[in-house]
Amino acid sequence: MKKILGAALLATSVAFTPNAFADTADGKSLLGQPWEKIVETAKGGQVNWFLWGGSDDINKYVTEYVGGILKNDYGITLNRVGLTDTAEAVNIVLSEKEAGVTDKGSVDMIWINGENFRTMKQGGLAYCGYTDTLPNNKLVNWENPAIANDFGVPVDDCEVPWSKAQFAFAYDTARTEKPPKSIGELIEWVKANPGQFTYPAPPDFNGSVFVRHVFYHAAGGVENLLGDFDQAKFDEVSAKAWKILNDMEPYLWREGKTYPTSVNALEQLFANSEVALYFNYEPAGVGLNIENGTFPATVKGYGLSDGTIGNTNYTIIPFNSPNKAAALVLQNVLLSGAAQYEKAKPDVWGTQPAIEISRTADDIKAKFASIKKHPAVASAEELAKNALPELQASWISAIEKGWVANVGQ
Amino acid sequence: MVGKESFSIRSIRVLSGAVLITWLILPLVPLAIWSFAKGWFFPDLLPKRWSLQAWEYALSDLSGVMDSLWLTVWISIAATALSILVGIPAGRALGMYKFRGKELVELLILAPTIVPGIAVVLGIHSVFISMGLNNTINGVILVHLIPTLPYMILVMAGIFANYDPSFEAQARSLGASSAQTFWYVTLPAIMPGIIVGGLFAFLVSWSQYILTLLIGGGRVVTLPLLLFNFATSGRNDITGAIGMIYILPGVIILLLTAKHLSGRNGAVGGFGRI
Repeated sequence: MKKILGAALLATSVAFTPNAFADTADGKSLLGQPWEKIVETAKGGQVNWFLWGGSDDINKYVTEYVGGILKNDYGITLNRVGLTDTAEAVNIVLSEKEAGVTDKGSVDMIWINGENFRTMKQGGLAYCGYTDTLPNNKLVNWENPAIANDFGVPVDDCEVPWSKAQFAFAYDTARTEKPPKSIGELIEWVKANPGQFTYPAPPDFNGSVFVRHVFYHAAGGVENLLGDFDQAKFDEVSAKAWKILNDMEPYLWREGKTYPTSVNALEQLFANSEVALYFNYEPAGVGLNIENGTFPATVKGYGLSDGTIGNTNYTIIPFNSPNKAAALVLQNVLLSGAAQYEKAKPDVWGTQPAIEISRTADDIKAKFASIKKHPAVASAEELAKNALPELQASWISAIEKGWVANVGQ
Repeated sequence: MVGKESFSIRSIRVLSGAVLITWLILPLVPLAIWSFAKGWFFPDLLPKRWSLQAWEYALSDLSGVMDSLWLTVWISIAATALSILVGIPAGRALGMYKFRGKELVELLILAPTIVPGIAVVLGIHSVFISMGLNNTINGVILVHLIPTLPYMILVMAGIFANYDPSFEAQARSLGASSAQTFWYVTLPAIMPGIIVGGLFAFLVSWSQYILTLLIGGGRVVTLPLLLFNFATSGRNDITGAIGMIYILPGVIILLLTAKHLSGRNGAVGGFGRI
């Protein structure tokens, strides 16, 4: 065993020759440099981007479109690493930090938001302070609190936005005539249609945001919940929310004895006609799911009259990425009007841009104006009229824990 | 060998074989159908629309499935070969000799099958980083030995427990060199164990996810990494197509070694207790 280990150790240490291109692990030295210099430094390098890999459409956009631009225009090789769960990439960075790897990390960029961003920021795992360096940063409206805060955590120059998403429901017009259009209606509808509704158990990302909608409803509006965590307020509102959800439980799918563990499980239940309602934080998914055959063509997405919660997702560069220059170039490409437009096309992905379209060049503006959304996807403008903010992460984790203890038990 | 089997034993054998095949094959049928379906909704017995899209994606450069297939084959074969190299002497020591602390050694060898991988994988990752083995194929092969070795060593220990070393002594007394003795006497006797243990090792390495992801750091993309992306995201069509490719090597190896697995060839070495 020792011999084999030794031999392998030797083999790999020999293989570990320094890269031919510049090592840009030292992020501070990149700050304030002219952009041309950073592009020049990044040339011939590589960037390892870790992101959820469960959609062939997104994979295609990232590998072919974004990877093509990086290769042809900048000479950078994009290595897309598909994840089942974003936390896996955060864990890699975390254990590298614990092992003292400060400049040879494996991860150059992560598609991220919410809880995982909080972990990265609090753990000092993020490369910060660089957004002004990116030329396309001017397209981002940092004045917008929904951009400047990631689930209530101030971004503080530690990540750049990629897309916006807003929670929306979907139903099958062939099976359901009148879906509930508000949380209040939904609560009544569930009781009138036993077995036709369920939601993924928090802390599933989408199950958790559904429970927050009920929470907002119980609080009589989100205004009462914004700001720092308030135990007294939480106790008051949560008692009402848990009562609503517990009263609902016997009317859920399988009498509420069990909950789906993920939004994908809910997707399957909906596709198999076991439940009548589906929801997702990414409303464009309904269109993609119809096109790829997961949902029948009679499915339609919609928002709620009392509003749905919106969020922004971002890309982050870990503190120990050895390819920071290439990662910056990648982020700049992602923020460009052309790449944001491509991503917004319904047959590519259909997700909402994180940049201000009004700040882009005229031809890009015209292209955005020409986008015809997938007919089944809830209109982003309609949804945005009733957009609700996310709560701070401390509220969210309290709600998730409270659900597990009081409803899920 | 036993003479003719009685009729009832024969029919039980045929029946259990049929049940086993049903259990193994039936779950794969929907997977195969899904891989050619474009939507398959309740209560349709078969998909209404068929499509080759999932296969096109799975076989395209974009998905990287074919590159992953060869890489995974190489990693699993290498991990199996190393397991055999380590497993033979370790199994011999555990199967044939009594020594102080043997129970402890057995427990330590079994530990990776008892302790859930997720609990130790971050610690393993730190160790591999400090040795400079992370993000390399070699590192992934080495880390796969942790889950494969228990199976290999236990099978070999069972073989050696029934093994009579006096055959080796006879060969040596007749003038065979130690290499010749191993090649002509020991190896044929323990071959059934090597095949069974090797098959276990191959399949265990073949299905590793979290160890490969962390130690490989995204540079070493094996088939399970691609498969689980889609399996967890509800894309049954692509999961079906990659899944069909995924089970292929296992089936081929099973067919190649099937005649050694009947248990009858165990006669020389025999599967015994440690």
